[in-house]
Amino acid sequence: MTPAPTPADPRAELRGLDLALVALPVAALPHVWHQPLWITALVVLAIATRAWLLATGRAAPSLAAMSLLALIAGGLTFAQFGTVFGQEAGTALLLVMIAFKLLETRNRRDIVIALFLGYFVVVTTYFFDQSILIAGYSLLATALLTAALIQVHAGRPLPRRQLARQAGTMLLHALPFMLILFFVFPRVEGPLWGDPQREESARTGLSGELNPGDIASLLQDDSTALRVEFTDAVPPPRAQYWRALVMTDFDGRRWSADENRSVIEAPAPDDDDRVTRYTATLEPTRARYLPVLDYPVALPEDAELRANHQVLRDRRITSRIQYSAGADLVTPPGAGETSLDPQERARALHLPPSAAPRSRAEVALWRATHGDDDRAIIQEALRRFAGEPYRYTLQPPRLQDDTTDQFLFETQAGYCEHYASAFAVLMRAAGIPTRVVTGYQGGAWQTRGEYLRLRNADAHAWNEVWLDGEGWVRVDPTAAIAPERIEQGLTGLARDTGEEIPGFLLRGEGLSWLQRARFGLEDWGDFVRFRWESWVLAFDPERQRELFARLGLDPRDWRSVLIALGVGFGSLALIAFVWIWLRRPRQRRSPADRLLQRLSDRIARHDRSLARQAHEPVDAWTRRVGRARPDLAQPLTTFARVYNRQRFAPLTPEQRKDQLDHLRDLLRQVSRGKPAAPPAREHA
Amino acid sequence: MARVRDDAIRWITRRHAHDGQAARLGRDRIYILPTRAGYTLLGILLVMLLGSINYSNNMAFLLTFLLVGIGHNAMWYTHRNLLGLQVATLPVPPVFAGQPLGIPLRLSETDGRAREALVLRVGNRATGPFPVPGRGAETARLELSGQPRGLYRLPRQRLDTRYPLGILEAWTWLTLTPEIVVYPDPIDPGATLGGTGEDEAPASTGHAGDAPDQIRPYRPGDPTGRIIWKAFARSGKLHVREAASGQGDRLWLEWDAMPAPDTETRLSMLCHQVLAAHAEGRFFGLRLPDQTLEPGQGVSHRDSCLRALAGFRTEPIELDPEPRS
Repeated sequence: MTPAPTPADPRAELRGLDLALVALPVAALPHVWHQPLWITALVVLAIATRAWLLATGRAAPSLAAMSLLALIAGGLTFAQFGTVFGQEAGTALLLVMIAFKLLETRNRRDIVIALFLGYFVVVTTYFFDQSILIAGYSLLATALLTAALIQVHAGRPLPRRQLARQAGTMLLHALPFMLILFFVFPRVEGPLWGDPQREESARTGLSGELNPGDIASLLQDDSTALRVEFTDAVPPPRAQYWRALVMTDFDGRRWSADENRSVIEAPAPDDDDRVTRYTATLEPTRARYLPVLDYPVALPEDAELRANHQVLRDRRITSRIQYSAGADLVTPPGAGETSLDPQERARALHLPPSAAPRSRAEVALWRATHGDDDRAIIQEALRRFAGEPYRYTLQPPRLQDDTTDQFLFETQAGYCEHYASAFAVLMRAAGIPTRVVTGYQGGAWQTRGEYLRLRNADAHAWNEVWLDGEGWVRVDPTAAIAPERIEQGLTGLARDTGEEIPGFLLRGEGLSWLQRARFGLEDWGDFVRFRWESWVLAFDPERQRELFARLGLDPRDWRSVLIALGVGFGSLALIAFVWIWLRRPRQRRSPADRLLQRLSDRIARHDRSLARQAHEPVDAWTRRVGRARPDLAQPLTTFARVYNRQRFAPLTPEQRKDQLDHLRDLLRQVSRGKPAAPPAREHA
Repeated sequence: MARVRDDAIRWITRRHAHDGQAARLGRDRIYILPTRAGYTLLGILLVMLLGSINYSNNMAFLLTFLLVGIGHNAMWYTHRNLLGLQVATLPVPPVFAGQPLGIPLRLSETDGRAREALVLRVGNRATGPFPVPGRGAETARLELSGQPRGLYRLPRQRLDTRYPLGILEAWTWLTLTPEIVVYPDPIDPGATLGGTGEDEAPASTGHAGDAPDQIRPYRPGDPTGRIIWKAFARSGKLHVREAASGQGDRLWLEWDAMPAPDTETRLSMLCHQVLAAHAEGRFFGLRLPDQTLEPGQGVSHRDSCLRALAGFRTEPIELDPEPRS
């Protein structure tokens, strides 16, 4: 259909290449941190070469040479990654391809293809980073790519300012589209093919094992694990136990989480007022557990409660998710039941026969003293931890032999894991079914944004013991040795013991203004991050269903989607229409002309024939009116004189303003004149 | 194939009246379709969308939808780049047969929006891309190859644009009809120069007549060869020498007197004679088999004579922008 294009003018064909050589590196910049160095070097070299060729007016390298180079680059990519597909290898190949495309660019089509691929480069950035900073940066990159695309098609070198405005306007006008499609486009659970999770880099999270001998690496991790917003009242810090993993099996050194339990029904809250409701945003852990506030009653739809009272999602958490749940802070699971399931009881009492002989002997003494009173035994153990010589420390000595005995009788220094593990061993030795629970405790309340932020450093371990009739009751031995740890988090602990702990844990009073400013800035940063993550990144099929449901629609029904799209784009079109209508070009009249119009209207109010005709010069008109209305002749003559000077004489702005005031005065004078009174002169 | 296309365009544009001398581009005559680059971008966006779904990556969704928005709005931008433009013919400077033709068209803008990268096409000839400033005008010259003697109509024109992103092309068909005149290629008839009239002496190449010259003030159109430069140097006023008696020096250029058998050669010779007579400031008339131009003088007289030669026994025909060589 299209007539043959204009014969190519080499300079016109490469117009915009200079801008493309800026825009594409900008788009590719975030990849530098995620790609092997040689890719960066290759891309920089190719682009620099092209820029040099362009600046010196040389031709692009021959196609044969380029094909050879491209083959070599493809081979190198394959050698590096073992594949050309997948996120990292695919991105590497894309970058190399664009670099070569730019290098061999000889016409407009080549530039356009390179720029289109540039949009693709921007999108691949999100494999590695989804922060709000990257979002802003990609907006800039997109604007630059679009500006380059505009320059390529502009037919002449456009001024940079005009290019920037045009590209900016286009982006701005596209934003409403983006928002409507983002919320309305029907989301489905990914992935469509392959297993993208496998490629995701490892994330930190709670370990499925607990080994008191190991170094507490998680406690040094400042990154956010979980953020929580409470629907109503915020529970006191001592009640904020976020259960994640339940560990029942112990091999003498190591506790391990067991997921292979049957699914049970979540207990229905008997009193809805007692339920603490919240919405949590969880960072990806690559595991299935959901940290829930103790004791869980209302669970999210895609999660299930296992027989060991552990809450698991139906699939691994590979991206940030949001879920809503509820907790009953008072009633533990199993409350009211007189006995524990025998099999469960056996597991919760199991100790390897050779484990912790000294501890067993100690416990036997307690039993002898307290008889059947399980509570007294628990108190005995807690009392033991509460006083000297036990210490709470984040840098405990390494444990080698029998970890329990060595800790209880030799080192007597450790953190939550040591106490939870030792306590469990003591209880089991006493015949009280006990398990270890890991999760998060404490966290920092963010006054800005009103949410609780739990870092990986807030990871904690505690116990649950079975008491007939009361169920699985939570016992936190760490609270006995270091109550500050529970009330105020690690910060309070640091103040009391003077122990050296990671700098980020130092919050509260006694800080220099510089530190306060730093922490204030960090809180702000986390607030912005959190909002970005909870409003934008956490939007998924589940959230979409909730949003649609609020409008009485369902995203799984195509008619609903059509309605939503129709309403969205309909209102958008309406707004655009009104906007264009309001901004339609109108004849702008000078202030003097507007005053003239008002004067004419005023005079015509009493005699329509005196209105100024469009063809009538101002002084001719004032003379005509002056003849019919001698009383107005004087001000009108002045008006005509000043008007003409205003319109035609070169004036300074001050003079112009003065004269406008003069015209306004005259208009008032004419308006004040009593029009009803017949001109006196006619009667004389 | 070309015929089918032509018929299709005629069918599409059948509801539009012929433009004549000026046209205003309203919504009813602007067409828009994606270009190849547009389909490429569509493909890329589709891949990006699939990737977003596969990786459940919300930022990828956002960027994809942002680009969808940009692509959608490009439709509006491209369309508006043509909307409201006024296109009008300008007088086409006549040329001699075989000389390249330049056809100027004036594009004016009244909405206050500058336009970019417009291309004007006739057949396979194109001019542009050129901009039109806001509340301003631009003259686009269509360069066409030389044509044989005659009067021509410009075939259907196409004004198109791919600005700003090149993913869509908006165009309109114009049927402007500037008057295109191609004079005969002048051929020197040789020694037999100077037509003869039945009531006068044979024309000579020298100054006319024996009667003393009359001096009169210069009027626009007088041949420069007759200006009395010496007088101008003295007085600063332009005067021309005029034959004392126009009647006596009247020169008739005769169709029948041309020493050639065929029409086109005769016309070419007459063309040469007209130019020569004008250059010499002669008072001349032109007699063709079906038309007689009374003797006269000056540029406009010369042009009427040339036009009569160009239009001799022919009707305006559609110009072929791609003549077979």
